[in-house]
Amino acid sequence: MADIKKEELLAEDTQKGQFMTFQTGKEFFGISISYINEIIMMQPITAVPEVEDYIKGLINLRGKIIPVIDVRARFKMDPIEYNDRTCIIVINVKSIVIGLIVEKIAEVDTIREEDIVPPPSLSRSSSEQNKYVYGLAKTEDTMKLLIDPEKLIKEEDMEDLEAMEELKSEEE
Amino acid sequence: MAEEFNMDGMLDMFLYESGQLLENLEGIILEKQDADCFDEADINEIFRTMHTIKGSSGIMLYDNITKVSHKLEDVFYYLRESQPENVPHVELVQKVLAVSDFISGEMDKIREGDKADGDETEIVADLDEFLKRLKGEIKEQGIRLPKENKHKEPSQFYIAPVASEESHFYRIVIHYRNDTEMSNIRAYSATYALKDIAEDLLYTPEDIITNEESADVILAEGFYMLLQTKSDTDEIVGLINSVEAESIDIEEITAEQFGKGLAEISTDVSEPISIDLGGEEPKKEPDKEKEKEAVKPGDYVVKSKETGKGKTLAKNQPKKQSIISVNVEKMDALMDLIGEIVIAEAVVLQNPDLQVPGLDLTNFQKASAQLSKITTELQEVIMSMRMMPLTNVFQKMRRIVFDISKKLGKDVELEVIGESTEVDKNIIEHISDPLMHLVRNSMDHGIESDPADRTALGKPEKGKVTLEAKNEGGKVYISVRDDGKGLKKEKLYEKAKNNGLIGDKEITDFTDNEIYRFITLPGFSTKEEVTEYSGRGVGMDVVVKNIQSIGGRLEINSQEGHGSEMTLVIPLTLAIINGIVVQVGNSRFVLETASVKEFIRLTEDAIVQEPGGEEYIVLREQPYPFIRLGQKYQLSDSQVQVQDGIVVVLEHEGEQVCLLIDKLIQEQEIVVKPIPSYVKKVKGISGCTQLGDGSIALILDIAGLIQDEERS
Amino acid sequence: MKTLLAEDDFASRKFMDKHLSQYGECDVTVDGEEAVGAYMMALEDGEPYDLICLDVMMPVLDGYQVLKAIRDIEAERKIPQDKRVKIIMTTALNEERNVKKAFELGCEAYSGKPIDVEKFEQVLKRLELI
Repeated sequence: MADIKKEELLAEDTQKGQFMTFQTGKEFFGISISYINEIIMMQPITAVPEVEDYIKGLINLRGKIIPVIDVRARFKMDPIEYNDRTCIIVINVKSIVIGLIVEKIAEVDTIREEDIVPPPSLSRSSSEQNKYVYGLAKTEDTMKLLIDPEKLIKEEDMEDLEAMEELKSEEE
Repeated sequence: MAEEFNMDGMLDMFLYESGQLLENLEGIILEKQDADCFDEADINEIFRTMHTIKGSSGIMLYDNITKVSHKLEDVFYYLRESQPENVPHVELVQKVLAVSDFISGEMDKIREGDKADGDETEIVADLDEFLKRLKGEIKEQGIRLPKENKHKEPSQFYIAPVASEESHFYRIVIHYRNDTEMSNIRAYSATYALKDIAEDLLYTPEDIITNEESADVILAEGFYMLLQTKSDTDEIVGLINSVEAESIDIEEITAEQFGKGLAEISTDVSEPISIDLGGEEPKKEPDKEKEKEAVKPGDYVVKSKETGKGKTLAKNQPKKQSIISVNVEKMDALMDLIGEIVIAEAVVLQNPDLQVPGLDLTNFQKASAQLSKITTELQEVIMSMRMMPLTNVFQKMRRIVFDISKKLGKDVELEVIGESTEVDKNIIEHISDPLMHLVRNSMDHGIESDPADRTALGKPEKGKVTLEAKNEGGKVYISVRDDGKGLKKEKLYEKAKNNGLIGDKEITDFTDNEIYRFITLPGFSTKEEVTEYSGRGVGMDVVVKNIQSIGGRLEINSQEGHGSEMTLVIPLTLAIINGIVVQVGNSRFVLETASVKEFIRLTEDAIVQEPGGEEYIVLREQPYPFIRLGQKYQLSDSQVQVQDGIVVVLEHEGEQVCLLIDKLIQEQEIVVKPIPSYVKKVKGISGCTQLGDGSIALILDIAGLIQDEERS
Repeated sequence: MKTLLAEDDFASRKFMDKHLSQYGECDVTVDGEEAVGAYMMALEDGEPYDLICLDVMMPVLDGYQVLKAIRDIEAERKIPQDKRVKIIMTTALNEERNVKKAFELGCEAYSGKPIDVEKFEQVLKRLELI
């Protein structure tokens, strides 16, 4: 019986509760693997001028051109040098495909719903990254910040809109 | 042509055919709106159109459409049979348009999956009254009425299925553990479990029940299913719920992919095993074949239920046909593939492996020249396939002019020139709305409301709007010209100033053209009151934005008192351009070949610096704005000194700009790809492309650069 | 109204049977061959069906074949046009080609699945069956 249960779990929850975790600085982050298309090695990046500094540029993913962003820069953390452990996590959020440059991939972790607690209230003092974190997960000895990729993207749209407004007023 | 609409249902067919008929009908009507009457051919055509729509809507059980088209058919039957004189032509035109609008409206509802519940009684009564009046006149003239138009009630009906718009399509792959016994039976159980939720289910291997060997195939390759259902993945997994399954992969696919079948989606499916058809009569084959002609033979079996027997599909007999209609998605896919070929070609021809000194490449060069020729031709063919005449777009404009002239009580004539000019399909989609806006503006703001104002200026009473399209030098020019009031510079200036759009510059600071361009600024509208047809908050700025999004521009010309001309200048095609690849620092950029005037080497003394910091180059006694691209975009390792780089003179619409670049790489065909939307629009960059070595180059937007430069 | 329903899918069969039974006797077969048999039997007994609903995808003989067979039998027996049994095809194959084919073979109506009951009744009225 136990066997069956396990199989069922595997089949039903191939994606639920599974998180790709990565390390950046001292902190661990997690993204639900349902958003993840693939993980690739660091690639030559074509910089796009005059964009936000966390948008590192464009990469060529087998003929498809996608933007890549630096997660550290996105969270307003100090930049680090890219090395051979640096990877790009290609995520797909509502058909927007984006690469996330992360320092180091840790592993795929199963995180149970009950282990996820909401992040501490969003006070003014809370750091930039909290905007994109929807929960904290305690696993073994580390605390993982679970990122909501939709927010990561949405926030972007807002800023984009603002940028466009600015552009408009400039034109006027 | 219509017969080839393979994968679409009966309903689509009805909508498609009726849509075509109505379009054609409107064409006739609007062409003849200013004539005195319809000629015999028109009457016959309209009669036939209504007859056909009546018949097909009858089969489809759209009673209101049937009734309305029936009534109009009666009217035209009468016109055809008794050829009465003194038919009120304008009224008739309006009646036909009313019917056409009603049917289009109902068809839109059907298309959206709504009920065609429009009330036809008013139109029918109106037509009845009209027909009576016509007949009454005839009676007065003492002419005998023709026989009543005989109607044959439809004897066959089509009942459209209950709308199932929320169907999802999934590709499901089940892998079983290697030691699973009778995996074919388990696979069957899985299909059986899905039966209740399945609207359509295809799977491979298909002979799971009858052929025990299929078990091995399933173990080796997995069991593939394509499922159409309203259920979500959780429910599907719940239903399959197979204890021996090692993995169940469910991927949502598009209806299009679903239609292609399993063979296209899973490439690694083994050859289908031939099946014993048992006692089935061979006669059965052609029937099955017709059910699914579009699929590749022998790939899978269509079964929504278990019959215990597999059925293969026989080879198709290709039909002879000179014209086929092709799904636009397929055309787009082909276009993308050709783009990939162009890139792949560059990858091969510019391969670094060829850079070995002393390598004899004579034969390679010959072969590659041949390849280049073919890919160029291939591009031309696909481009020509995508070209569509502007006829339909212009047709719409006729209708708009007709409607507005009636509504505003302005007598306006529309002249159409060059409607057969062809433009890429993608572009057509983008110009329809801007063009409509321009035509409305011309009608509403351009043409004078009072004919006396016109005659006072020596113009004919009847206003005139001219719609002209022409193809010149790789660009298409579509202009909307009116002989109305023209733009009043002072008024535009005042308005722009009052709205705080231009600061407090004097009117003399602007050229005429710059003043005209004020109307394209967001939040500008010279008309105080908002009318139904133009100026409802969205203005010319939206037109300009739409046109720019396809790489086009708007030109404005006007003469006060004599009219205005708005011209859309748009590229013929968006996809592939000739470009020159250049290097600046570590980045590569593409310049459109057509905009490059010359390359020159200069020294720093050629640069004139203004106190404000702007730099100019004086060439042949003409000053040109000068941009150091590396500096502008803060590219590291780029050449700072003019003498170390190359200066490119670029021209766009008569304006020049000089760019400092590091070096030229080469000229080649460039497959334009958009910058991913996530990255906000950068002034001066219009897209990107993949180069032969797989790296990405940004395509410079000369117009944007010049604009940017002018602003600073 | 006497109806014959040929449908191999249990769920559809149950649904249709229930619906059609309210207008009178409704016989059910699960494959095409049986449907032709039932039609013949009723004809021989002098109590022919008023309406036959045929699924298209059925085992042994499919709906088209049954439709053709019945029309052939009627032609052979010189049954006049207005005395012919009314036939409604019921199927999820609603491509235009399939519908045209069925019309050419001489069915009275073609209903896509899932069946729009309201329209189905509308057609029964038009065919003067109810």
